Amino acid sequence: MTPLCHKALSLTGTLQRFVFAILLWSVMTAAASAHASLNTTEPRDGSVVSTAPRVIALTFSEPVSPTSLKLTRPDGSIAPLKNFVLKDKAVEITPPGDLKDGSYLLSWRVVSEDGHPIGGSVVFSIGRSNADVRGTAADIDWPVRAGLWIGKLALYVGLLFGVGGAFAIHWFADGSRNALRQVLATLCIGFAGALLSAGFQGLDTVGEPISRLVAPAVWKAGMATSFGPTVIFAIAALALAGLALASGRGRDARWISISAVITAAFSLCLSGHASAADPQWLMRPAVFLHVAAIAIWAGALLPLLAEFGQDKEAGGAALHRFSVFIPWAVLVLAVAGGVLAVVQIRTPAGLVTTAYGIVFLVKLGLLALLFALAAINRWKLTSGSKKGEPAAIRQLVRSIAAETVILLLIFAVAATWRFTPPPRTLLAEVQRTAAVHLETSKAVADVKITPDRVGQLAISAVIAKSDRSLLDPQEVAVVLSNPGAGIEPIRRKAEKGKDSWTVPDIVLPIPGRWRLRLDVIISDFEITRMEGEIEIAP
Amino acid sequence: MLKAITLKTIITTTAILVFGSTAALAHVTLEGKDAPVGSTYKAVLRVPHGCEGKPTNTVRVQIPEGFYGVKPQPKAGWTLDKVKGAYAKAYDNHGSPVTEGVKEVVWSGGNLGDDEYDEFVLRGTIAADLKAGDMLYFPVIQECPEGLKERWIEVPAAGQKASDLELPAPGVKLLQKTGN
Repeated sequence: MTPLCHKALSLTGTLQRFVFAILLWSVMTAAASAHASLNTTEPRDGSVVSTAPRVIALTFSEPVSPTSLKLTRPDGSIAPLKNFVLKDKAVEITPPGDLKDGSYLLSWRVVSEDGHPIGGSVVFSIGRSNADVRGTAADIDWPVRAGLWIGKLALYVGLLFGVGGAFAIHWFADGSRNALRQVLATLCIGFAGALLSAGFQGLDTVGEPISRLVAPAVWKAGMATSFGPTVIFAIAALALAGLALASGRGRDARWISISAVITAAFSLCLSGHASAADPQWLMRPAVFLHVAAIAIWAGALLPLLAEFGQDKEAGGAALHRFSVFIPWAVLVLAVAGGVLAVVQIRTPAGLVTTAYGIVFLVKLGLLALLFALAAINRWKLTSGSKKGEPAAIRQLVRSIAAETVILLLIFAVAATWRFTPPPRTLLAEVQRTAAVHLETSKAVADVKITPDRVGQLAISAVIAKSDRSLLDPQEVAVVLSNPGAGIEPIRRKAEKGKDSWTVPDIVLPIPGRWRLRLDVIISDFEITRMEGEIEIAP
Repeated sequence: MLKAITLKTIITTTAILVFGSTAALAHVTLEGKDAPVGSTYKAVLRVPHGCEGKPTNTVRVQIPEGFYGVKPQPKAGWTLDKVKGAYAKAYDNHGSPVTEGVKEVVWSGGNLGDDEYDEFVLRGTIAADLKAGDMLYFPVIQECPEGLKERWIEVPAAGQKASDLELPAPGVKLLQKTGN
């Protein structure tokens, strides 16, 4: 054998051994290795943690390296996560330090040692789960809320006691000057309230703190809302009432005062929950009549008090005109108020289960008290007072003063409605459901997603065999992904209900087309995957 | 020398390809990738991991129709159960018809750690009338504590590849009948 030949042979031998080793190694590792799978996460998928996590850890079944890590914030913005370390089988991610309360979605994609990429999503919430992504984005700013409430209350005082007062002076008290100071004062309060409301409305709209109240942009934002026209017409109503007071006695003043009441009622039907409700042809006139009737009733109280304080005879005459007119105002007030309440609250349950309903009940309680006092005035004290009986007059004056206080309380309570969505809108939100029908050769499913918008939502699925006969799966899982937005699958096990499978709370952070899949374990060894798409509204 | 390097490169590349492609199937898999119809087949099921980090306590295998005369291999530390039932049709066992047999094999009561590897073995006959070129699938369920399960039960539909599946059932490719 020549040396060259020998060398070649030995080389061949080495090669053979090398090939054998490689093949053996490949078979062995192939048997031992597997796709990586996610074993645990910290925070846990679907959990609510009290404070922002300093580290988010994903622990896999084997070492992996991330190819994409993205965090979707409660406001729907997506940030890449660059800050992570690999510790054995875990990926430890340091999230941005400024995580606010709300729900977050971490979409991960990793490649394991076998080169096979896998992906998924982990949802966790800080503080509380996103009942409403937009609502939780900002915390309640109590100073701004207080400002809004005071502004609204002052506006009511101005429009109802003030504008109504001007009307009463001219229509019931024959243009008497006795209540001039009181009514002017309420008009001024109303004017301040209108301005204050515009500013705070702006703060509330742009989400700025009270320190920014002086910024022109804030006022501009406030006036740009539906409350802007309300402010303008309210100021017009207050000015008209002032003009009526300045016009002395006579027909002109009377007509100016009535136009002030109309303008005031009009201003309040331009904005607010009730005015925004459907059917508009019913709701806006109802608000208008409700406000006008209150103004006439409430407005009469201060002038009546003033008249009785000054001149018992004039007081008696004013009281007479008022008591002839007031039953009609109360009728209009009650009918319009009833319409508003029915449309806004919808169900009797809404009275006790929602903040709006509770405010309504408190208002109703105060109203009952007010009606009781008014009834006493009307049927027990009025006739005596008109005749000038001192005891009756004293009692009547006290009673009217009490009515004024109660009305003020009612306005204060009504002003809190600014912060409570009426049950009507809550119902409307709950009722917004997306439905999708899924079908495979083995099963059919009708899936409902409620509500069909970003944030926390519930999914329920009614599953049957393809021929619509009963199917009782062992397990059902819901898998949601948004490939368009790069969000890897979020997976949730469904709970078995009476006749449907449900995932009671899953958070979808962004709107758009989501891919929905039901993994149905029909029997031990049989699975069917049902796929479809759903549209999630912003 | 140049030739050797070229060879080495080719081999390495091939090995990576082999490694890559087998690894992509590395869930619960069968060791013998193919077997001729009409022959006995020793199915070696390789269990590479537990469920989400938890150990495997039970391994269940569904015996496909057309695989008859099944005898599972007992394992120390595991209780072996054979669920028997009627076959869809009669199979030939050296001239006598077989109409029923093992439909499911269950190894239970064991404790195979997530970081451990084991094999579960059963033997049977592949019916001669099965079509060569088809796959014969052995769906497997691993059961772990806390009700966790890993199911390897998906069979590709027409036009689907096994690698498209999340939970592919281990399978063996049927070859032409040999001998005779």
